[in-house]
Amino acid sequence: MSPFLSVLRSVVLWLCASLFVAGIAIVRPKRLYGLWGNAVPRLRDARRELLALGVVLLVSAVGRGSLQTISELFGLRLTGFIWALEGNFVAWLQQAFATPELTMYFSSVYVYGYAFLLAFPFLAYLALPKTTTLRRLLVAYAFNYAIGLALYTAVFAHGPRNLNVGTSLLYTHNPEFSALTSAVNETTNVFPSLHTSLSVTVAAFAVLTREEYPLWTPLAVWLAGSVVIATMYLGIHWLTDVIGGTVLALGCVYLSYRIVDPDEAA
Amino acid sequence: MTRPISRRRALAGFGAVAASGGCLGRSRNLAGRGTTSQLTLQIDAVPADRDPNAIRIARHLAENLKTVGIDARINTLDRTTLWRKVLINQNFDAYVGQFLEPKPFDPDAMYALTHSRFAPEVGRQNPFGFADLNGVDEELERQRRAEPDRREAVADLQRSLTELQPFTVVAFPDPLTAIREERFEGWSQGQPLTVSGLLSLDRTDAADGSTGGGGSADGGGSTDGGEFLDDGGNATAAAEELFAGDDAEASATLRLVTTDSGITENWNPIAAEYRRQGTFTSLLYDRLVVIDSGDVVPWLATDWERVGPETVEVSLRDATWHDGEPLTADDVAFTYEFLRDTSMGSMETPVPTPRFRGRSSVVESALAVDDRTVRLGVENVNRAVVVRALRVPILPAHVWSDRTEAATIAGFEFDAETTEALVSPNEDPVGSGPIRFVEATAEESAVFERNPDHFLVRAETGGDGASADAAAGVPERFRGKPAFDRLEVGVVPSDIAAVQMVGDGFADATVSTLGPDAIPRIGREADARLVTGRSGAFYHVGYNVRRAPLSNPRFRGVLASLIDKESLVEEAFDGYAEPASSPLAASPSWVPDGLRWDERSVDPVHPFAGDAGTGSLDAERARDLLRDAGYRFDDEGRLLARQQ
Repeated sequence: MSPFLSVLRSVVLWLCASLFVAGIAIVRPKRLYGLWGNAVPRLRDARRELLALGVVLLVSAVGRGSLQTISELFGLRLTGFIWALEGNFVAWLQQAFATPELTMYFSSVYVYGYAFLLAFPFLAYLALPKTTTLRRLLVAYAFNYAIGLALYTAVFAHGPRNLNVGTSLLYTHNPEFSALTSAVNETTNVFPSLHTSLSVTVAAFAVLTREEYPLWTPLAVWLAGSVVIATMYLGIHWLTDVIGGTVLALGCVYLSYRIVDPDEAA
Repeated sequence: MTRPISRRRALAGFGAVAASGGCLGRSRNLAGRGTTSQLTLQIDAVPADRDPNAIRIARHLAENLKTVGIDARINTLDRTTLWRKVLINQNFDAYVGQFLEPKPFDPDAMYALTHSRFAPEVGRQNPFGFADLNGVDEELERQRRAEPDRREAVADLQRSLTELQPFTVVAFPDPLTAIREERFEGWSQGQPLTVSGLLSLDRTDAADGSTGGGGSADGGGSTDGGEFLDDGGNATAAAEELFAGDDAEASATLRLVTTDSGITENWNPIAAEYRRQGTFTSLLYDRLVVIDSGDVVPWLATDWERVGPETVEVSLRDATWHDGEPLTADDVAFTYEFLRDTSMGSMETPVPTPRFRGRSSVVESALAVDDRTVRLGVENVNRAVVVRALRVPILPAHVWSDRTEAATIAGFEFDAETTEALVSPNEDPVGSGPIRFVEATAEESAVFERNPDHFLVRAETGGDGASADAAAGVPERFRGKPAFDRLEVGVVPSDIAAVQMVGDGFADATVSTLGPDAIPRIGREADARLVTGRSGAFYHVGYNVRRAPLSNPRFRGVLASLIDKESLVEEAFDGYAEPASSPLAASPSWVPDGLRWDERSVDPVHPFAGDAGTGSLDAERARDLLRDAGYRFDDEGRLLARQQ
């Protein structure tokens, strides 16, 4: 549908522009030149991890509908439980801090900042001579999606805006975004917050590899922190989802370090 | 009062006492008694994306229940799942929903909703499990038979229902619709999104020619995203070209948007869990008569006559099914039998439909006299009830007679009381109505086209002579309709997105409920306009009276006093609703003086236990109401209930 195409187009354009600028500023032209001729062998080196991530994404894309049906029929219905657990925290957050400027900032971060945050590490770690970090990142992403999908199936819950706890700041002010988010997500997939878990994953990698890209680390942490707050500020996720997402992220990063061995032939 | 002791601890104590040679008899008496604990109530509702008003009512009630010491939990479900839970499985405590009549309705609608004879059935008929033999049942029968004046019986019925509260009426919402008049006009004739509303639409010049564009969206101007969205303008322009191309092929396509995906995956007119008001299935399946602004309009029937107190003879129009088969009196006779028993006698007990039960219960037998005449054996009821019984979708016997066996999955029967007809999605629906099914993508869109063989169309093309009679008795504004060649129903994620689609010119009207956050947006969109009418679809809280303490009318009465209807109308509906006590409040002439809301700000029967209009509950007053009804609290103020 056309609102979907228009948002998708602006996200892709923004992504290309921001990757170009950040590539020059953070990865540096020298390393980017190094990609010429090296990118293909490095990707081949990470083929198993790429394949794993590809399979997970494919299963998620193909099976989402039927898993959603299973979740609807048999999933644990936790909306009321989560609300009882944390109450109106999200509504309080909005009441205490919401301003039109902040809403604009967090809406942009939620869509554009998040896209950049996920895409940039691919480029940055592919530019590294050793593929260990790249492979770890791919494995961590794959785990995030796979475990996320399993939890989405097991848990059937709606986000705070759907309980009218706080308002849906994102969609009230930018309904066109809902065309994009509804195409890639179900409204009942709130626990855990995958926005949170993937952002925290990227931030964790940025901290762990701070020697390679010292400029990236504070930027990644800032962006990830903003995305995490945005998920609640915009009324999309519960605090519980964010905590769940953070735990998931740290677990996935740990697993990726356990699984991908740096000494393996690169 | 002490805190409740768990059964395990009680048993341990029992053991200790037994071991020490204490008084066994006393201990047995104590340990054998069930224990009490805090009452838990679950309130089911659809999420705000689907219905922004229902969730606000559920929140209001849940918060007030917590205040008086009841552990209230909200459970959000998608619409189909909610209805499956409430109407089919009946395993709920309370739900918030709408009564599914789009327009003010005849009092006989309460027959199916509250008569005790339907309590054991599954479907929309009496989902509460309510039974009041000498009051409500008797009044329901009386209003069916009273002729000519039903007023007294209907007034008594409302008094009983408001006193006993099998469900609590909250408010009648204004049926708000965002429309754009660029391509179609005539929206404001009553409610546009009903069968008669959609058939009343006329094309504008823009819809006829090639100027009907995909939208006059001004791109970046309509977005609040600032600089990040500057590219949006170009993208929208590109999409606009794309849509304009489509329009050149199908010049008169009516495009509607909804948040309800039911019509994109299920076209079964009798499936209670998928149909909301059944507007699209009513356009697919003709009825014998329709009601148009209070008048009975002969539709599939050219005429009907009461030939005896218990016999109605119906003459049919010349009509064909969408698959080309002729529609005959046998189809009509089949339909009435089928609605009463979808197994057509092949099962041990009849399996009635989960919709139209009040109507099908009137018609006891149906016989095709000849190809064009059906004789219906009806109960001795008044005219209004007979007319209502004539308003059921007529189904093709050659399609539905294959769906009478028990439903199975891979050969396994799940439930002896479920026929294939009840669970069939009815793909490629074969009806006789003014629109035909074309295609659909689940959860995205459904496409219909105008049925060129329908009598409304034939009436236009004929001019004079025999074919001019094709639509005899049908009002002028329906002739030659529908005005659209195609009808596209698109699914959008929320009411706000729906309004945005209309504002940007990608849709002509919204179908589903609009919430208070969506309404200001209509004002901001230059080409969108808000229309409204009168609705019969009252919001209510329904109780499962099979479950204690909801089985107690005194308890339900207190629950009704926990709802501040006035403040809900102001806050949840932004004023776009009328608070009400009686389910018939949309037809004020039926409502007795004592049950009218009028200028007062509190419910006439169960006034809000607090400061009405402000939403602030007086917890002590509410607790006193519960104490008066015989309920008890522990020292932490929690309402105690015996464990089930």
